[in-house]
Amino acid sequence: MDIVKIIGVGLIALIISVIVKQYKPEFSMYISIIAGAIIMFLIIDKISGIITLLTNLSKKTGMNAEYLSILLKITGIAILTEFAVSICKDSGETAIASKIDLGGKVIIISMSIPIISALLEIIMKIIP
Amino acid sequence: MEIDLLFKIAAIGILVAVLHQVLVRAGREDQAMMTTLAGVVIVLSIVIREISTLFNSVRVLFNL
Repeated sequence: MDIVKIIGVGLIALIISVIVKQYKPEFSMYISIIAGAIIMFLIIDKISGIITLLTNLSKKTGMNAEYLSILLKITGIAILTEFAVSICKDSGETAIASKIDLGGKVIIISMSIPIISALLEIIMKIIP
Repeated sequence: MEIDLLFKIAAIGILVAVLHQVLVRAGREDQAMMTTLAGVVIVLSIVIREISTLFNSVRVLFNL
């Protein structure tokens, strides 16, 4: 049932942004930002359900909790960067979008260093 | 935090556009500029408040 709400918000925002674009082009960007925010709010409680499920599963399997928290952080960073990149691309600023994308990638790689080092150690153990 | 936010921003945008035209026709370009700036500031404050609540909830959710 939520999908109908998401599609409704998206279509209404599209119609309003097209109307407002004739009078004030910059307001259509504000409308797309607000529509993105509203849709993100709609899906946030679904995401929290998924996260609690993941944490429970990881507790059961006894996996190192630190890796799961890093993975969740990376997902959060990816969602936020994608949010900003699509808005910048929408308003025609592809240069800014690519810089934000680059920043997001660098932060994600820098956060995943512990996982990479742990993986290398495991590999070293396997190879005699 | 629902759909009425979209309508509010659309209304402000159209109102600012109409006021701008009216003031320009009346020969007061500077006041037209002021109303446009005022509209932009109002809409920016709304957008920034929504974006900050969104980023806070995402940050809390993923404990970034």
